[in-house]
Amino acid sequence: MKPPRFGKIPGVLVAGAGILLLLPLAGLDVFLLDVLTIGFLTAVYAGSWDIVGGLAGQISLGHALFFGTATYSCALLTSLLGWPFPLAAGAALLLSTAAGAAVGTLSAPLKGPFVALLTLALGEAAHEFFLGQTFFSPRGAYSWGGEGGIPVLLGIPWFSPWIAYYAALAFLLLCTWIMLRIARSETGLIWTALSGSELSARASGVDIRRHKRLAFVAAAALAGAAGVGFAACVGRATADDFSLELSFQAATFAAVGGRGTIVGPILAALLFYPLLQGTGIPPAGRVLLYALVLLFTLRFFPAGVAGTLRERARARRMAGRKGDGR
Amino acid sequence: MNPLAQVLVDGIFTGASYALMAAGLALILGVVKVVNLSHGAFFTLGAYVAYVLESRGLGNPLAAVLMAAVIAFAFGVFLCKSFINPVRSHPFSVAVGSLGFAILFEQAAQMLWGPHTLSIDLGAPVAVVDGVTLRRWGVISFLVSLGLLGGLSLLLSRPWGLPLKLIAEDEEIAGSVGMDVEKIRYLTFGAASSVAAIAGALLAPAATITPTMGRVPLILSLIVVIASGMEKVWNIFFLAVGLGLLSNVSAYLFAPHWSYVLLLAVICLLLVFRPKGLAAAGPARDY
Repeated sequence: MKPPRFGKIPGVLVAGAGILLLLPLAGLDVFLLDVLTIGFLTAVYAGSWDIVGGLAGQISLGHALFFGTATYSCALLTSLLGWPFPLAAGAALLLSTAAGAAVGTLSAPLKGPFVALLTLALGEAAHEFFLGQTFFSPRGAYSWGGEGGIPVLLGIPWFSPWIAYYAALAFLLLCTWIMLRIARSETGLIWTALSGSELSARASGVDIRRHKRLAFVAAAALAGAAGVGFAACVGRATADDFSLELSFQAATFAAVGGRGTIVGPILAALLFYPLLQGTGIPPAGRVLLYALVLLFTLRFFPAGVAGTLRERARARRMAGRKGDGR
Repeated sequence: MNPLAQVLVDGIFTGASYALMAAGLALILGVVKVVNLSHGAFFTLGAYVAYVLESRGLGNPLAAVLMAAVIAFAFGVFLCKSFINPVRSHPFSVAVGSLGFAILFEQAAQMLWGPHTLSIDLGAPVAVVDGVTLRRWGVISFLVSLGLLGGLSLLLSRPWGLPLKLIAEDEEIAGSVGMDVEKIRYLTFGAASSVAAIAGALLAPAATITPTMGRVPLILSLIVVIASGMEKVWNIFFLAVGLGLLSNVSAYLFAPHWSYVLLLAVICLLLVFRPKGLAAAGPARDY
């Protein structure tokens, strides 16, 4: 039913990675370097959404829950408990994975729009909870938590924007490789079947609840990894890391890039994030533009830009001159 | 002076307006057959319309209601025609797109009126009974809600409302007996949106007006719709009043933002423990 998805893309990817590798040498200033660094992490986050939302077809509208769990864990463990960063990062990964297992378990019996509702409600609850929390403040110096955020103590004196850039780029390449491996594995194939039709997946003997849970766990682990990277680069965890806008952003990148293609959402994030962040549009205007792009994409390219164009081309080929894509 | 009695009375007034909104959401789920996450945006729209009228010196609640209803109806029909109807069969597009529209509206409101909270003058109380104030907006919103819900209930029980019920039951049959299903869909979506805006305009004096104020009533309406259905209008009313009371009392006992967390917890529990009860209200097709 679906064409081989990853045909020519890896070659293009390698070329793109080469350009990104050389970009800082072309005299990029620190601000753009920072924007691109966060862009790489956002791309991993967008790809992680695609694992559960695209590949497995479970519409998650609370993906920021996993991201925020990781950043908050990093911040609280390093600043409040004084753990070294690597240890805190490991714990943060475990916690966000556990959050994924919990959300996956709760949403496994549900279908379509109701998965979206449940994840939306869980994400909003976490956001609302952490927005009001200032009781993490140590010895009343100033209030921590909420929108002001909690500092993340990295404890690496030689950390610089350059190192962050290359570390994030390497992280992006590694995660892209991992996600593509997942997508091409037998489990990935089962998830694709699941997103096509749960009924026929079950008829062919798939334990659909287990696989839905598994998809959430994998996606949460990857989103958590992106969150750890974000905490390290930004040095602060705020309640915004749990916000509905962030969850929505992931779904937007996936819808624009093409759901279930892994590479599509990553490329969409790489393209849009620096474009909107690097030009001085105010935050409200940014989110507004995301929403507009999303609505247009969903309306005119229901299978994502790449996917719909490919479908139309195929329909035209098959129907000769008669097919007009409808 | 009994603060808890005051909270209860205000809770009933608020809940009645929420019932209006929930009834609109239920109609959309029943007739258009989508879970519309942009419903809260229309509530916010109504509140801002009331605010703008107030700040221009037109503090008449009924003017605000009328204006909000007209604007929201136009917006709703436009949204349904241009977006919801064409992507109706893709649950992903509906969920993410309607949420996207809500976020679009939130950000636009933030750019137009700023992120800070706004408020409207409460007006003089209608009466004070036993130390409990019956506020003017409260009485008006209660009466308007009751009237509109009564109208809806009447509509659904008369031959006039038959198209709505038939489309909710089976679209193909409705189409084959000559009903213009698409037109009824647009009108239903527009009417439901305008009802949400009416609720927003009525509640504006009681609430703090912010761009994201529509999220709480959206979650509340979703709970009501999941637990009830489209046709039993009075079930919707009592559920919404109950939830309005719950959220008001919890806001009074703890802090305002805890009432939202509580509602979110309720919807999570409902979804987790009654997934079968939803299937009846959800889209008929297995996607």
